[in-house]
Amino acid sequence: MIAQRISLNNLLAVVLTLAAAAYVGWKVSQAPNQAIQFAFNGLSVGAVYALLAIGFTLVYSTVWFFDLYYGAAAALGAYGVFYLRSQETLGGLYAVNNIVVNVLFAAVTAGVVAWALHASVYPRLRSRLQPTVLRGMLGLLAAGAGVYTGVVLTFPQELHVILSPVLGIGIAVGATWFLYQAFQGLVAGRVLLALVAVSGVAAAALGAYCGYFVFNAPESKLYLSWGVSCMLAGVVGLALYRGLYVYMRERSRSPLIMLVASLGILLAMTAFTSIVFESTPRPLPEALGSEPWTFAGATIKGFNVFTVGVALAGFLFLLYLLQYTSFGMAVRAIGDDEEVSKVVGINTTTVIAAVFFIGAVYAALAGILSGHDTAIQPRMGLLLLLKGWIASVVGGIGNLHGAILGGFVLGMIEQFGIWDLAGEWRDVISFVLLILFLSFWPRGLLPRK
Amino acid sequence: MQTDTEHRTSLLRLAGNPRELLAAARSNLELWANLLIIAWALGFMLWQGVGFAISVGTVFAIWAILSVSLNLVVGFTGLLSVGHVGFFGIGAYTVAILTSQAEYEQLRTEAIPTFGWPFFAALPVGVLLAGLVALAVGVVFNRFRDDIYVLVSFGFAIISFNVFLNWRGLTRGAFGIHDIPRPQVGGWALSGELEFLAFVLAALGLIVLISWFIVTSSFGRVLTTIREDEEAIAVFGYRTTHYKLAVWTISAMMAGLAGGLFASWTSFVDPNSFILLESMLLVAIVILGGLATIWGSLLGAMAFVLLEEGMRFLPFLPTIHVGQARLVVLGILLVLLMLFRPQGLVGRYKL
Repeated sequence: MIAQRISLNNLLAVVLTLAAAAYVGWKVSQAPNQAIQFAFNGLSVGAVYALLAIGFTLVYSTVWFFDLYYGAAAALGAYGVFYLRSQETLGGLYAVNNIVVNVLFAAVTAGVVAWALHASVYPRLRSRLQPTVLRGMLGLLAAGAGVYTGVVLTFPQELHVILSPVLGIGIAVGATWFLYQAFQGLVAGRVLLALVAVSGVAAAALGAYCGYFVFNAPESKLYLSWGVSCMLAGVVGLALYRGLYVYMRERSRSPLIMLVASLGILLAMTAFTSIVFESTPRPLPEALGSEPWTFAGATIKGFNVFTVGVALAGFLFLLYLLQYTSFGMAVRAIGDDEEVSKVVGINTTTVIAAVFFIGAVYAALAGILSGHDTAIQPRMGLLLLLKGWIASVVGGIGNLHGAILGGFVLGMIEQFGIWDLAGEWRDVISFVLLILFLSFWPRGLLPRK
Repeated sequence: MQTDTEHRTSLLRLAGNPRELLAAARSNLELWANLLIIAWALGFMLWQGVGFAISVGTVFAIWAILSVSLNLVVGFTGLLSVGHVGFFGIGAYTVAILTSQAEYEQLRTEAIPTFGWPFFAALPVGVLLAGLVALAVGVVFNRFRDDIYVLVSFGFAIISFNVFLNWRGLTRGAFGIHDIPRPQVGGWALSGELEFLAFVLAALGLIVLISWFIVTSSFGRVLTTIREDEEAIAVFGYRTTHYKLAVWTISAMMAGLAGGLFASWTSFVDPNSFILLESMLLVAIVILGGLATIWGSLLGAMAFVLLEEGMRFLPFLPTIHVGQARLVVLGILLVLLMLFRPQGLVGRYKL
């Protein structure tokens, strides 16, 4: 009975795929130039979906509930860039600089930094320093982070000035640490010390150069604003997990509780965005590579190629993180069984919080990329979230490889589907695809093992 | 065990003990919620006068029909559907297209055929159409549950919105359909606001009555059991898919009725009334009022309408932001409810 059913579904899959291939082949033979255009659009739209789907998969396969904040994070990322850049590029037309927003984000950042320091630094230094002194120092650090965030949000015109020292120091410290880790496996003793000293000097020079470069390049402000708004979206995601979902998960195991709560968050954040920025669509400032090229009769933007690159890089980074680091091992263990991973000594709260941070950063990045390509509006988050969700179902829920494949497949099918229909019907196409997949192949293209 | 006198003295003691006071207040929250919302409604009516109460009452009745009907699916059967606005829209558009008498050629915009049916002929068609669509959709949706059900119901809401927006030959797309007449019985048109309010309240009464019959019947008990444990009742030979399909269709027909009333009341429909956000709002109202109680849905709809109207009088809130500010408040309320009271104000079932 079951075997029969599966073979019927496989038959259907083959027939549908052949029909789609025949249709596309026929269309391509009719108008090859247009086909290239559609394929290219499919790739660039699919890259955004893929980026959403991999972040979504990371979060979903760890905690196993649908977090609708993920959509709000996409909108938050896009509106963060708008907030930071519109005051200059739009000539004050729709410029917004709201003290309530600045203080709110500063407070959330301070809280999250305080928690992160408490979770990471505090246990290690507790035995060496007096608790009161240590707490005071960490509290000051957290408050400083909050104030810094507030300053960044209040003076976005000076983004390159404010961020360049921090960026330089960050690069220097990061490079030193990376080289230290690399050398540690190769040599030991005095040679290691000497090598680290040399690499430290080199890293400091690199950091100083990077900081100086950013300081002197006002056009880097757009990309700095990308980073800032991704970080903010991640910080809010982490805050929601630590401040809200942790308590809900303690009280009830029902995934619907968290889903409805995050529905409330999505509603509130979408409406709040509409209040601050009005609900009409807005443009983001032009990014590098916005001039169209003509390639084999198709119009192609360099920015879209960049989007595809970002999606692939994001996928590779996440794959590395999950497969080859101890953090990734912990994430996979929690996804398999949270209780047991707690028993074997994984600090599940910290790991899941980091997962929420990374997931929200991916969502924000996807929101920014799609915002540069089209326009942004407060409602965009929900639709992007749903597309990422569909892509991960199509690819196979909970599987990272499936997620990126599903994203590109969804983008392609959407674009080739609207060839004969009008462009407005693409949401309908993707949901019909979703229902087809859920009905006949609920495990997706690449099922999770 | 406490005697009565001891209980009274313990009330005094409560005043000095905030934690116990909080616990006591929480155990009586249902009572407080009822009293507060009814008092709020009465106070509003006294303050703003009868005309205001009539228009607010109509809005309340339409939301109440919607939330009672959705509660049958979400609260009693345990299927969290976020796509209810689609059936609302189907009802509204059917009534709008069949009854509208606008002469679009004169306006030089996209024209659609006009039928000029009377309201009472169009309304059953709208209700039946919503039911038929629900039957077709329900057959597909029945195999899903929990979060996948939420996803596909999102999908239904988005597909129906896109149909309303993009099938221009039928719905005029973003232009919307106007000149939808009020109901007419013989020579007596329900053109006045008060007559229409009475009509809508009568419809609400009918819906509440039907829901009450469903909930208290053996059919309703099967639904509740499906919610608690679907496999268990399937073992006893109940075809759970049929039950789920039946309640889903009935609920969609009620939403279609609400849509027809809405179209006739506003005399204009366009796709913006049927966006996904409205559907999420509806779910929030149902959960706020309470899952698996009819009274809770009425209470939730009342609280929502009062919230919206009350916000118009806040001095620091500009009027254009009221529509969004109510969503902010409702969203935060939803989070708080999920944290502290997952069954809603007067609910009988925890999500």
